[in-house]
Amino acid sequence: MSDPLLRLVGLHTHFQTKGSGLFGKKKVIKAVNGVSFDIAPGEVLSLVGESGCGKSTVGRTLTHLEKATSGQAFFEGNDFLALTPSEFRPLRRDIQMIFQDPFASLNPRLKIEQTLAEPLFIHGLCKTWDEARVQIAATLELVGLDPKVMARHPHEFSGGQRQRIGIARVMILKPKLVIADEAVSALDVSIQAQVLNLIKKLQRDSGVSMLFISHDLGVVRHISDRVAVMFEGQIVEIGDKTQIFEAPQHEYTRKLLGSIPRISLGREVA
Amino acid sequence: MNIINFLRNAFAGRKLATVGFIWLCFILLAAIFAPLIAPFDPLEIDPVGRLAEPGLPNLFGTDHFGRDTFSRAIYGARMTVIIGVGSVVVALVCGGLIGMLSAYFTRLGHFLMRGVDVLMAFPALLMALVLITLLERSVFNTILVIGIVYATTTARILYGMTLKLKGEVFVDAAVCSGAGHSSILFRHILPNLVSPLLVQASFIFAFAQLQAAALDFLGLGLPPEVPSWGNMLSEERIYVTRAPWLLIYPGLLIVLSVFSMNLVGDALRDSIDPRFKDDIAGV
Amino acid sequence: MALLEVENLHIAVGSGGKLLPVVQGVSFCVDENETLGIVGESGCGKSLTSLAIMGLLGDSTVRITGGSIRFDGMDLLTLSAPERRAIMGNRMAMIFQEPMTSLNPVYRIGDQIAESIRQHQQISRSAARDRAVELLTLVRIPNPSERVDSFPHQMSGGQRQRVMIAMALSCDPKLLIADEPTTALDVTVQKEVLELMADLQDRMGTAIVLISHDLGVIAETCDKVAVMYRGKIAEAAATADLFAELAHPYTRGLLNSIPVVDRDVEWLEAIPGRVPTLEETLTGCAFHPRCALATDFCASRAPETSQFKPNHSVQCHFAGGSTT
Repeated sequence: MSDPLLRLVGLHTHFQTKGSGLFGKKKVIKAVNGVSFDIAPGEVLSLVGESGCGKSTVGRTLTHLEKATSGQAFFEGNDFLALTPSEFRPLRRDIQMIFQDPFASLNPRLKIEQTLAEPLFIHGLCKTWDEARVQIAATLELVGLDPKVMARHPHEFSGGQRQRIGIARVMILKPKLVIADEAVSALDVSIQAQVLNLIKKLQRDSGVSMLFISHDLGVVRHISDRVAVMFEGQIVEIGDKTQIFEAPQHEYTRKLLGSIPRISLGREVA
Repeated sequence: MNIINFLRNAFAGRKLATVGFIWLCFILLAAIFAPLIAPFDPLEIDPVGRLAEPGLPNLFGTDHFGRDTFSRAIYGARMTVIIGVGSVVVALVCGGLIGMLSAYFTRLGHFLMRGVDVLMAFPALLMALVLITLLERSVFNTILVIGIVYATTTARILYGMTLKLKGEVFVDAAVCSGAGHSSILFRHILPNLVSPLLVQASFIFAFAQLQAAALDFLGLGLPPEVPSWGNMLSEERIYVTRAPWLLIYPGLLIVLSVFSMNLVGDALRDSIDPRFKDDIAGV
Repeated sequence: MALLEVENLHIAVGSGGKLLPVVQGVSFCVDENETLGIVGESGCGKSLTSLAIMGLLGDSTVRITGGSIRFDGMDLLTLSAPERRAIMGNRMAMIFQEPMTSLNPVYRIGDQIAESIRQHQQISRSAARDRAVELLTLVRIPNPSERVDSFPHQMSGGQRQRVMIAMALSCDPKLLIADEPTTALDVTVQKEVLELMADLQDRMGTAIVLISHDLGVIAETCDKVAVMYRGKIAEAAATADLFAELAHPYTRGLLNSIPVVDRDVEWLEAIPGRVPTLEETLTGCAFHPRCALATDFCASRAPETSQFKPNHSVQCHFAGGSTT
């Protein structure tokens, strides 16, 4: 196997909470408590677990939205966890994030083209608005939207369309690693399927690596190559998708799989 | 959302607020076109025609110098607008910057906001009095003092709203796009604060009037020769029994204007983003 | 006669002077000891239907514009407010999606349960408290005699939802309406809560209306299913019959959209397009713009409810037709 694109070694992210009462002791919550994994170029690794297991914190730490307590994360061989914000900024182009809530992740005051042009200008990928609009139009088409929508504001779009715009904002930079944090969880089933297909297609076509964070095992099976199951800040089991779903080793993985309500059909669905 | 639509929504079905808004428009017009509307020079003294009753040619009568009260009231509208707009600008710029920066840079915020808290511990009028006694009486200083007084409340309010916006996902998304501090503050956070700021401005405008009138009345506000409603009240108060109209007209103007501004402020507040409604509780 | 009979229910939302129909002619019935599942995507009108049954459409912008709701022989829509209150929480109870917001954070949970009991039954405080402990035991809260004095924030999401169930069951209701009761919960907790509900139904014979967007939850827990799309029931049948042969193309599309855990699927067969908004007026079948089987006929005429199989009704001109 080739060198990993991302190698995470012993990541810890702890939070301090205010103690209860006036003089209560501060408590430390170990949201991520020693997590290590690799992601190869072009690979999709899923982090799956229940709420509070720390899976989202892993993603937020990797994008410097949370501060890591200890550990190392190598991107193409260089540790980037300890970088200052300005040192990390050039890397942001390569490490992008798709957010869960399509209604909250777009600035309501900015037109779609303004939202999509921002990363282009910041990273110096284009100089003029004309250049930017060409790239925006191409990216909007890529995510299945009419390029004409770029002159509109977010409130004119449905949840599914907004999530496509969120994906466009990420893909327009042609990143090497995309972190998708519950990217389809807020969507209705029929829309979720469309967006999931889109993400899978974009991933295949561009060969981008992906860290797909989700609580939904069905979605995870659909999208990933490998799966890591998280529980209380640690990875309890990691392996190929087929192994995790067909022959789970850890008791917690089995419990998760056993909890999913299943539909028994009278006949195969066409 | 453009301004006209915003106003239309805000005033739909609110007759009193609409009347208030129209009244304020009249005041604004009077302020802009004061030299054209006022029949006399507001400073022209006429010892013969002292304390004339309302009628023609002196619509609101004349004061104890024989100056035309109607003309002084029209020019008073001009002072009202100047003081109001000036204090709003000072309060929003100073308070807004302090509040936004404090919320965004948490460490700086601990420091700045404690200072704001200390200032807020003084009653507004007392603080204005203390500040104004250190300065000369002038239009600029009055604006400065009133602006600083209301900058504290503005800072508090914007601090809270910026903290909320800072936690929004679209701010995280902008960070992930590589946006820097100034871009996040002024491109992503500030535009979302425009409508609450507008509401805040309308309340500060109203309270600045009261504050200015109070300072004038105490003889600490504008220089005595400047025609302002507060000065008119202050100068003519000893004639309340002989020439009550000298106090009734400026008094009514102050009351109506402040009342209108509060109505307009309420209407605006009810139509803005519900997230921020709790933050603006009047000044 | 069934315990709850909803017939031809119409609900409209007032917006700018005109009424937009949200629920258009929904009919179903639920018997004692039976669970009806209502499934659909957001905006299909499933939650409004449940709120209408509970009489919680207090907002003047949402109105019931037609139809009847009969509970135990009474027409709920003609009852006076005090008569309704006597039924609500007593013979009919509801649990909501978000257990944190439906519990009052400043009162101990035991007091909240006791309070809801004492609203309908003349019993002493201590008796009500004993009953609260009993109920907490029933919903399998560990150490019920201690936890009765906990505040809502001291409990986990799953425990709070159990408390809500305990509260709903406090007066032995004949009908329980559960609106997305497990949506905010983790799968492992969801399983426990659903099992608890099924178990309690076995013991008490409660009728349950379970509203969910999750076809899997519905399939596993309900006796019969109604699939709603844009204010109408697209398809309704006993659960086994429904999944034995899906008659409506929307139901098939919904099922094909779900990524399953038990096998690999290369591409999901997503339903194209999106649910039309309320403002968009449609002629004919509401599903025709997204339907693979749609013809000009579907665009011009709305299908009536027809019997696809015995006890399996469907609103489609091409019921049972293949999507391939």
